[in-house]
Amino acid sequence: MSIELLLALITGAALFGVGVYGALSQTNLVMIMMGVELMLAGAMVNLVAFWRYLHPDNPAGQMFVLIIMTVMAIEMAVGFGVAIARFRAKGSVEMEEAAELKG
Amino acid sequence: MNLITVAILAPLSTAVLILLLRRLPATLALLGIAIGLLASIGLLANAFNGITNEIILPGLPDLPLRLVATPLTALLSTLVAVVCNLVMIYAVGYMKLDGEKLRFFATLLLFAAAMQTLVLAGDWILLLAAWELIGLSSYLLIGFWYRRPGVTSAATRAFLYTRSADLGLYIAVFILIASAGSSDIATTLNTGGGTAVVAGLLLLVAAMGKSAQTPLHDWLQRAMAGPTPVSALLHSATLVAAGAILLIRTAPMLPPDTLLVIGIVGGITTVVTGLIALGERDLKRLLAASTSSQYGLMLVAVGAGVPLAALLHLIAHAAIKSSLFLGAGVFQHSRDGTAFTQLEGAGRDQPHCFFGFALAALALAGIPPLSGFFSKDAIIAASLASPNALMLTTFALAGTLLTGAYMARALHILWRGNSQKHDIVGLGWMGAGLAGLVTLAVILGAAFPSLETLLNESLSGNTLAQVLGLSAALSGLTLGWFIPMQRLLGPLLPWAQRGFAIAGGVDTWVVRPAFAIARSCEQLERGLYAAVLGVGRLGLGIGRAVRYSDERGIDGLIFSLVRGTVELGSRARALQSGLIHREMAITVVGTALILATLLVALLI
Repeated sequence: MSIELLLALITGAALFGVGVYGALSQTNLVMIMMGVELMLAGAMVNLVAFWRYLHPDNPAGQMFVLIIMTVMAIEMAVGFGVAIARFRAKGSVEMEEAAELKG
Repeated sequence: MNLITVAILAPLSTAVLILLLRRLPATLALLGIAIGLLASIGLLANAFNGITNEIILPGLPDLPLRLVATPLTALLSTLVAVVCNLVMIYAVGYMKLDGEKLRFFATLLLFAAAMQTLVLAGDWILLLAAWELIGLSSYLLIGFWYRRPGVTSAATRAFLYTRSADLGLYIAVFILIASAGSSDIATTLNTGGGTAVVAGLLLLVAAMGKSAQTPLHDWLQRAMAGPTPVSALLHSATLVAAGAILLIRTAPMLPPDTLLVIGIVGGITTVVTGLIALGERDLKRLLAASTSSQYGLMLVAVGAGVPLAALLHLIAHAAIKSSLFLGAGVFQHSRDGTAFTQLEGAGRDQPHCFFGFALAALALAGIPPLSGFFSKDAIIAASLASPNALMLTTFALAGTLLTGAYMARALHILWRGNSQKHDIVGLGWMGAGLAGLVTLAVILGAAFPSLETLLNESLSGNTLAQVLGLSAALSGLTLGWFIPMQRLLGPLLPWAQRGFAIAGGVDTWVVRPAFAIARSCEQLERGLYAAVLGVGRLGLGIGRAVRYSDERGIDGLIFSLVRGTVELGSRARALQSGLIHREMAITVVGTALILATLLVALLI
């Protein structure tokens, strides 16, 4: 394994760890979603690193990353839609207050 | 309207009228029976003039119902009507104090109508119907005082005895109709050969039941439980006479073998029941036994091949025996009972009645010039001329002797003793009926020659028969008057008083087995019932068990599954807090655990 790959994996892991921490520690829906984005970004860094250094001739890795980015964009759209609706109804997006949504 | 219709329907419609109006039963009854008598006399007059009245009614297909007044049937019809009239007049007095006149007179009229139908019936089917009707109405009349102890059992016994003997008539009638192809009595009389023998014997069985011949004579004495006018009617011209009438009417058909059997049965009966009468301790029961004995004599005459002699004796006996019973009824009212211990000297209370009673008794014994002498003489002459002269004559003479003895004994008891004066309600009516019948009993003998010309037969007079009969009668009377019954009967006495144990024999050999069969059938029935009930219970039990297992078992299983699922759901629900952080933390920790496990698995 090359050193570049290792560096990239460490960066990805760091990104993922920051994302997990953010998702767990924040109470605001927007902030939690940003944590989740960071986790996904970490995962994508890993994917790209593995493609770039181990299988550069196989385009499947690139395609996979592109699909994840699309999914991320959709997820953001849905998440912000929910957040806006929640804000309009209750005036806040604090997730501790949203336990009643479980029905 | 045909006279036959009037003779039958006058009593019947009066009975209905009495039941509908519910008043004046005696007057209406006398009126109805008198109209019937006029019609019967008209029939007899027509018969004398050679006119035969006949009615053909629609009956079964190809078997029309016929009513026909031949000289014989017209004569019998007149006899029945006359006796019914006089008995009815007597009954008006006898029943003066009874509370249920309506029922009594209506039933008596039904009885009269049924008997007229029986004698006038020209075919077997109508005869069977009338035969059953007189059985029914005699049952009702014998059981008239049904509240008194023992009366219903006497009535039932009479009904069952005659009813079981009737089976003979049924089978005989079926045989005759089947072999002749017609139900007309006159046509079936042409039957011959083996069929006639069998049918004749079966008819004899039916006649034995109705005419109380040995061994079926027991019911007649018990039937004394009914009112006395009923006894008089039963014994003289109706129920009991039906058996003899049946044999007289079918006599032309009967072959010699059957005739011999009839003669033997009649002979045995006349002796056995004569002895029973001699040992009897009750006036009405004595007269009942005497009736059996006299019908035995008639059977002897039929057996000797001279039914005309039997017919004449039937007619004479009808008048005599009803007079005797009517006299006995007067004594019964005078002393409140008919046992000889109560009746000692009763004749002195009512000398006029006793005179009539004594005349009738002498007529029954066969003393000239009373009617019984001529008829008995005819019977003895017939048996002398028959092929079995020795046996039949012995029977006839023994019967005559016994008749004299028991009648003399009854007269003796009624006359010896102290007079007690009692007022009797309705004596006038009773006396009128009695007087009419006694007159008939006395003078009927004079009418016999014209009856013979009517029936176009003649009886040969026989001096030997007259001498034999008269000496037997006189010696019987002397014995009965002067020698006490205990000495006369000697060792036979206990037997005679117990009816020669024939009733007991019938009880043991017929009634008990019948009861045993009935009981075992009942047991079987109960067993079947219990088995059916058991099957039902079993089904019910299975049903209950199935329901239980359905409700508690299968349903319970499903319900517990449902409940378990619901409970599991509510438990799992507790995990769903709705708090995102906690759930994310659980996810992270869970993932970490999985990773750690993988790591450990990889390392090991």
